[in-house]
Amino acid sequence: MKKFSQLAIPYIVWAVIMLVLPMALIAFYSITEPGNSIFSFSVTLDHYVTFFTDGDFLRILWRSLWIAVKTTVICLLLGYPVAYFISRCGERLQNRLILCITIPMWINMLVRTYAWIGLLTEGGLIQRILSFFLPDGTQLLYTESAVLLGMVYNFLPFMILQINTSLCKMDGALLEAGADLGADPVQTFARVTLPLSLPGVVNGITLVFLPAVSSFFIPKLLGGGQYFLIGNLIENQFITVGEWNFGSAISMVMALIMMLLMAVVRRLENRNRGGQDERNF
Amino acid sequence: MKKGKRPIGKILTALIVAFFYLPILYMIIFSFNDGRSLTSFTGFSLRWYKRMLESRTMMEALYTTFSVALIATFISTVVGTISAIGLSKSRKAIRNLMEQVDNLPMMNPEIVTAIGFMLLFITFRVDKGYLTMLLAHIAFCIPYVILSVMPKIRSLDPNIADAAMDLGATPWQAMTKVIIPQITPGILAGALIAFTMSVDDFIISYFAAGGGVKNLSMVVYTMSKRVNPSINAASTLMVAIITIVLILVNVIPIAAAKRRTSYEIKKKKALIPAVAALAAAAALVVFLHAGSGAGGRPFEGQTLHFYTWGEYTGENIINDFEEETGAKVVLETFDSNEQMYIKVANGESYDILVPSDYMIQRLIQEGYLQKLDPSKITGLENLVDSVKNLPYDPGNEYSVPYFWGTVGIVYDKTKVDMEDLEREGFNIFLDEKYRGDIYLYDSERDSFMMALKALGYSMNTEDMDEIQAAYEWLIQCVQTMDPEIVTDEIIDNMAQGRKALGLIYSGDATYVMSENEDMGFYLPETGTNIWSDAMVIPANAENPELAHAFINYACEYEGAYDNSSFVGYTSANEEVMEVLSGEGGDFEGINAYLPRTDNDMDEVFEYNENTRKEISNLWSRVKIAASNAD
Repeated sequence: MKKFSQLAIPYIVWAVIMLVLPMALIAFYSITEPGNSIFSFSVTLDHYVTFFTDGDFLRILWRSLWIAVKTTVICLLLGYPVAYFISRCGERLQNRLILCITIPMWINMLVRTYAWIGLLTEGGLIQRILSFFLPDGTQLLYTESAVLLGMVYNFLPFMILQINTSLCKMDGALLEAGADLGADPVQTFARVTLPLSLPGVVNGITLVFLPAVSSFFIPKLLGGGQYFLIGNLIENQFITVGEWNFGSAISMVMALIMMLLMAVVRRLENRNRGGQDERNF
Repeated sequence: MKKGKRPIGKILTALIVAFFYLPILYMIIFSFNDGRSLTSFTGFSLRWYKRMLESRTMMEALYTTFSVALIATFISTVVGTISAIGLSKSRKAIRNLMEQVDNLPMMNPEIVTAIGFMLLFITFRVDKGYLTMLLAHIAFCIPYVILSVMPKIRSLDPNIADAAMDLGATPWQAMTKVIIPQITPGILAGALIAFTMSVDDFIISYFAAGGGVKNLSMVVYTMSKRVNPSINAASTLMVAIITIVLILVNVIPIAAAKRRTSYEIKKKKALIPAVAALAAAAALVVFLHAGSGAGGRPFEGQTLHFYTWGEYTGENIINDFEEETGAKVVLETFDSNEQMYIKVANGESYDILVPSDYMIQRLIQEGYLQKLDPSKITGLENLVDSVKNLPYDPGNEYSVPYFWGTVGIVYDKTKVDMEDLEREGFNIFLDEKYRGDIYLYDSERDSFMMALKALGYSMNTEDMDEIQAAYEWLIQCVQTMDPEIVTDEIIDNMAQGRKALGLIYSGDATYVMSENEDMGFYLPETGTNIWSDAMVIPANAENPELAHAFINYACEYEGAYDNSSFVGYTSANEEVMEVLSGEGGDFEGINAYLPRTDNDMDEVFEYNENTRKEISNLWSRVKIAASNAD
């Protein structure tokens, strides 16, 4: 069996270089001064201090987390009923509906986001329809609502598919058992369906929240040049300002926050599900 | 069980599906629009498809997207499968550790992974280009393959390989004949995920690629500032391909189902989509690659790396130059001098750059440019005197001017009172009468120029108090005026008359005014920036010879005319400038086209490291303040 385990060695080397080293470099840059190289450097925590003592940066971080929470909640509220409805359809219809939801995901995200510009801009279809209801001169494109819409649009399919997968895995007999034992439909849903679909919900939340926090092209395309989320701040530091050390520090902060949040979510899930580990992509 | 009608679920699902398809339909419809507009359909036409097929940038991006995806899918599937088999037989500690490592690209925000790759390549001085993009794609695809292969291996009987070997199979045979056939569905699913992730990727490619290599996402990102219906055409094409593949995939198994047992269908169902998708992609790559010619011209087979502003070259100049010289031009674009500087300072190699005045001064000071060979430069005497011998490069030892102009205010004559403009100059950007009706330009230099000139200071001031005052002026502007900070978006938006006022480059104003008669261009009496962008050759250029040839080509009448008439920026070639602004010229009667040369308050930017750093930081703070303003 030794022979087979040797097959993993090239990949372990590769993974160290291509997956571990980059993260180590970000950590390294985040605590060194600009202009240092890996051979001569001086360590500093200034970049973290700057980030955490500046109200403007913290507000951007807060706004990024907040809009990601809003996106996740909206996706959950819209996605759960849809996933539930789909899981209750006949097999053929179910496959078709899933296909309907999958096709847009095959189309480039940027392209789909770009398409919203035409709909939301002044004179665009949605803007024209909504202008009957909204006060005169209300702008849709380049607002926070547009960014939120773009995020929900891009990430909702993940939520629907994840929840749907776990609902479909559920044994139908359990529902019948619940009903036989005298539960009404609401009780069956609350006591049987909902807990059993939780892994899907958790996966869905992860797959929506994670990209929503760090997204930078959705805010850029739909929020305009002055709408900054943490992703834009990072992009700005690397592409225009050229302060990689500070940019690395922001990246580290974001990566750590995300890891922490994900660990908490997984923990809650495990407690609920008695430690059953399930992940789907 | 009750099989109710669930009207709410039905309606909601229908609405959500409609929501998913609305922008896609909109995009498809407008890809056939005759006009440029994204809001009004003026007639059916295929011109954007033609434009797309003629656009090298787009075709190359399609080629890059699919070739990277195919190679990355192939390599990551093979490596991922072998590694997963290896890992499954490794010690538990190693297995668990590697699982955590594999999770890195999946659990990290994508931008963090992307920046990691970028830092890796830069720290170890690997030139960013096609190869780095491919490496990054392979790196983030392998974990997905392992993730989908691993469960299949776990469900295998661990003794099965031993059994095969006991019966006389070599380890190789045991693997290929026993293990792999049993985990094929997992391998195919992994390949499919890898392919999808790679085709769709933007963030990682954006940070990991370089040297003009772009995939479709990157092209959309850089082109999205101007209305460009050929993006819709390219997208529609992709939608069509994907839909056909997916329909085939879903129809074939249904037809086949009539003849096969259910077990076999399951296997084939995973096989067919993967094979069909890969085959379609391979066909596309071959088709896209089959477009190259030959001949006997001076620079046959050589490559010119040309790094310039977005939308800054004429319609034909690149093709004509290639036709004439046999060279291939790789065009890469930037939105700001600073963005270009970072790439050059990182050691990326280009043959020609087109930076602005102060940036040329900086590049010379820091030793990033090489002197031009005067014996090879022929076009200098054709150029306007006002753009030659400027303080940033006296004697034009390093640079040959390309375009020049001013920075002024574009305004809607129907909304803005001329008296306000004349009385307030740049201070009109603080006039609350126009609150919510203005565009600022996302350039640290020009924004600070505006503020300094509004306050009556020199735009080259080294006095930190004056710079601080300008900063406060800008902060007041973003906090009280609710401006939109844009770059090239201003061009189409002002041409559509969406706002009353904007800070704009004269060349963009020329285009806006030629599209919309209601628009005017005003230069405040307190002075403005007279800028020029010039062609320079970096010290690390790979082909200076060819670069000289291109510089001459762009200075001569034909090239300069094509550039200026198509882009709308003022040509540095005197004859072209006169023809275009004169009677019957494209820009006759448009005041923005002819730069002002008779105001003593007008200045040319000079480079100063101290003030640059300060201004750069402060501008980043202004944008953050604008973002926090509501």
